[in-house]
Amino acid sequence: MSSTSKSTFIDELVVPGDVILDLEKLESETIKLGDGLRQDCDVITVTKAGRLRFLKPNKYWVESSHKRYVPCVGDTVLGIVVDSKADNFLVNIKAPVLALLPVLAFEGGTRRNIPKYEMGTLLYLRVVKANNNMNPELSCMDASGKAAEFGPLKDGCMFETSTGLARMLLSSPTCPVLEALGKKLSFEIAIGLNGRVWVNAPSPAAVILVSNAIVSSETLTGVQQKIMVDKLMQRLQ
Amino acid sequence: MEFVSPEGLRLDGRRPMEMRQIRAEIGAVSSADGSAVFEMGNTKVIAAVYGPREVQNRGQQLNDQALVRCEYSMANFSVGDRARRPKGDRRSIEISLVIRQTMEACILTHLMPRSQIDIFVQVLQADGGTRSACINAATLALADAGIPMRDLVTSCSAGYLNSTPLLDLNYVEDSAGGPDVTVGILPKLDKVTLLQMDAKLPKETFEDVMELAIQGCKAVAQYIREVSTQNFIFLASVSQLSVIRNLSMLHISYLLAQTNEWSI
Repeated sequence: MSSTSKSTFIDELVVPGDVILDLEKLESETIKLGDGLRQDCDVITVTKAGRLRFLKPNKYWVESSHKRYVPCVGDTVLGIVVDSKADNFLVNIKAPVLALLPVLAFEGGTRRNIPKYEMGTLLYLRVVKANNNMNPELSCMDASGKAAEFGPLKDGCMFETSTGLARMLLSSPTCPVLEALGKKLSFEIAIGLNGRVWVNAPSPAAVILVSNAIVSSETLTGVQQKIMVDKLMQRLQ
Repeated sequence: MEFVSPEGLRLDGRRPMEMRQIRAEIGAVSSADGSAVFEMGNTKVIAAVYGPREVQNRGQQLNDQALVRCEYSMANFSVGDRARRPKGDRRSIEISLVIRQTMEACILTHLMPRSQIDIFVQVLQADGGTRSACINAATLALADAGIPMRDLVTSCSAGYLNSTPLLDLNYVEDSAGGPDVTVGILPKLDKVTLLQMDAKLPKETFEDVMELAIQGCKAVAQYIREVSTQNFIFLASVSQLSVIRNLSMLHISYLLAQTNEWSI
């Protein structure tokens, strides 16, 4: 009966409503559910379309790619300032509700030196609080209170992709498209897990090339990505 | 009028228990968070979902669940007679409401409080069964948008003409004035979320007709499942991910983003 403790759907495509596990068949062990799964009485059902993933010993989640973002503590995101209030900046991070960025959440932030961000400023941020009942809270510092790389992103160009592509770009080892681009060009990139990507390079042509390469890499395999980058590079020269 | 010939064929050549050909496509509207086109024979419907996003009208905000809004409209060119239809006529308001209630029953609205989900459905070509087609299109669009749902709702209609239960009525059969039973089900949970009938039917007959409609729903469900898994564009390299640093009970994120710099 040892095989019953593992779902038979692992690495398969699942859609909402699929039952992946029957808790009655489990032998009193703990399982951890991630994104896209929920417990419905004695069974675990799927709530999002995607691929079911399993990580030993007991973690399950559904991996999917969407245009909207669900905030999660620790994620780094790209946000756009929408409004500023006395205590907070309101930031759009593509989440269900606007996120709050406290005016003191900057390195060495005091009442005296409050940063002035106009509406539309693009910021590289970290999610520090995320739960259903509150607006997500952001910070411009890393966990140790340093500015790190967080803060406003000047110049360059931002474009929106899916959350899946953003995760792919951040994966380790470095994803093929970025590796191929990095060998030929020098550019700066900031990737938010909310599906926003910012690119900056010395020349506008390079910015456009990098953006195009990233956008079109979503459905390609590693080898295809490299070929695509090579083709784009030929056009540049 | 004879809707079922003595050979047992309907006006468009189908058998009484035969459905029209269905076709679906995900991702038809690039600016929407989720979208789909759904066709049942000559009926063609497009659906777009936006959200969950901020509530536009603060007065409507719900503190314990998401606000679901639905707008149904018919393109002017969708029917033969090109009559002007005012945007908020009674029929479209009623269908908007029906679709909204059906979708609300399957969306886990409590997971996204204080937000709003907009569903827009438009009939591009009307040939009977637009209500069902709209619900099926909306389901696919919601699945594409990644909105958490209990199940994929599907819908299908059935009628009763010439003492024969007929599955998936087309426009001619629909306008014959006979009963038209539209059923929406949650196929995995085996629950009915929508049941509408425009005329009277004896109890026994009604059960037959409804059973037929449910069979239709299940056939649609099978197809919708195929489409949503097939069309699920998946990132080849994500499967090779080796580092997972952050795994919380609710969400899993892969890697902390860093502003990396690549240079030659």
